[in-house]
Amino acid sequence: MAPKSKYTTVSIPVTLQDRIEKLISKKTGFKSVSDYVTYVLREVVAMHETKEIPEPFTSEDVAEIKERLTALGYL
Amino acid sequence: MQHKGTKVAIIGLDSVPPELMFSKLLGKLPNIKHMYDKGLHGNLTTCHPPITVPAWMVMMTGKNPGKLGIYGFRHRKGHSYKDGYIVNSAHVNEETVWQALARQGRKSIILAIPPGYPPKQIENCNIVSCFITPSMEKSFTYPAELKDEVLNVANGKYIFDVTFRTENRDAIKKELFEMTEKRFDVAEYLAENKPWDFFIMHEIGFDRLHHAFWKFFDPTHPKYVKGNQYEHLDEEYYKMVDGRIGRLVNVFGEDCVTFILSDHGSKGMRGAFCVNQWLEREGYLAFKSPVADVTDIDKADVDWTKTKAWGWGGYYARIFFNVKGREPNGIIDPNNLSLEKKKLVEKIKNTILDDDGRKMNNLVFEPDELYGIAKGDKPDLMVYFGDLDWRSAGTIGHNSLYLSENDTGPDDSVHSMNGIFLMYDPHRNLRGKELKGLKIEDIAPTLLQMYGINLPDNGIDGRVIREVAGL
Repeated sequence: MAPKSKYTTVSIPVTLQDRIEKLISKKTGFKSVSDYVTYVLREVVAMHETKEIPEPFTSEDVAEIKERLTALGYL
Repeated sequence: MQHKGTKVAIIGLDSVPPELMFSKLLGKLPNIKHMYDKGLHGNLTTCHPPITVPAWMVMMTGKNPGKLGIYGFRHRKGHSYKDGYIVNSAHVNEETVWQALARQGRKSIILAIPPGYPPKQIENCNIVSCFITPSMEKSFTYPAELKDEVLNVANGKYIFDVTFRTENRDAIKKELFEMTEKRFDVAEYLAENKPWDFFIMHEIGFDRLHHAFWKFFDPTHPKYVKGNQYEHLDEEYYKMVDGRIGRLVNVFGEDCVTFILSDHGSKGMRGAFCVNQWLEREGYLAFKSPVADVTDIDKADVDWTKTKAWGWGGYYARIFFNVKGREPNGIIDPNNLSLEKKKLVEKIKNTILDDDGRKMNNLVFEPDELYGIAKGDKPDLMVYFGDLDWRSAGTIGHNSLYLSENDTGPDDSVHSMNGIFLMYDPHRNLRGKELKGLKIEDIAPTLLQMYGINLPDNGIDGRVIREVAGL
């Protein structure tokens, strides 16, 4: 059995692909439309996956913990 | 090995390296030696970064830090220059072993696993929060009534962590031993008095012992002095814990499989490398006025209109780029970001020398590449100076790029990639076999297998350790 590929194919409109090709042809850094789309999607997905979390620490707690973590070498 | 009555206990010892537990000190630790000789052991390769938070959650979810979105104790808040937050239990969204067990009605005891504050409300669990707990006055247990029992066992003073902002090492030593004894008192109490199928505890004391005393007991440390008063403190502390482990394993009983695990190793610190001063020298970071005194980067007067990148201190360096449209005063065109990254990575890898003029063996990771997916408030680059022999100093205003001490407190050790793995089943003589290639992500799937729980198809990175699960 062939090893499972790390990549899959998704469809985007051809017009969008053309626009991205034009965009990245002028810039360095992105080798392909796939690279660009992966980059953008990663950012967007990661943004949506991050939920607002209520802060359990008071500002005094934070100052105290930061001081402790700093002294411990973590910060 | 999947049966209804499966009982597993994990004794988590923060930062214990195989070089101490399995080599230098093993002969002095009768209980651990017995478990070692009858059980399985090996080096447990930890995650990147090899830091307590996220490592214990990687171990207990089987997922890498990118999937957890946790890269250390503290994160930037979005793309702010100054705002940050301390990671707490609510930031862990992936399922832990005890949550998977709880769904099946199995009961767990969770003592001090970081990040464990505030304690999550999970049915079928008795939880005591971790060393990040601000104080004893807080609600630090689930259920809340458990707090009174913990305080009672600890004679009214349960110690989450030692005070570490002093050069008074006698005081640190005293508190360290007291803290660990109390943790084991509570562990014994919970294991004896609460129902459980799964027990896990974490002891932070080893990490504190290593950071505060490594140079005293490691003859290879540059600052080691023969005959110093703490020369055998490692042995003294490890022996004390060995005695407590012997007692605790007795409480666990004959039908319990016990693991002793650590989340990363430790090694002597070579020094601290001033990442921001280096970035300034290389033209990446600019200040509005010359920095005369030692100053935290968060408090420095950075000229963001001329700054391309800056870094954070810690056991590894986090580097952030100042990107237009992302940071408040970003200057790097997003389309040039990958080129800028590439250039800086090359510089860090190839041009940084140590204080002896030798090339530093620096490792640089990009979170997206390292993890496949990197959620949350990730840095742009993660850097290990000298394979972690050098910690990263985030402060500026030093007269050298190299500091022989930690810039933020007494510190003699840094973290290393190998932790310990030891498994002991009183009913199986496994003859001290060594297992190779163990990874911290393997623990959660192995535990789930032991309880007969099918591995969820939700991106667990680890694999089942077949020898452990009895397959």
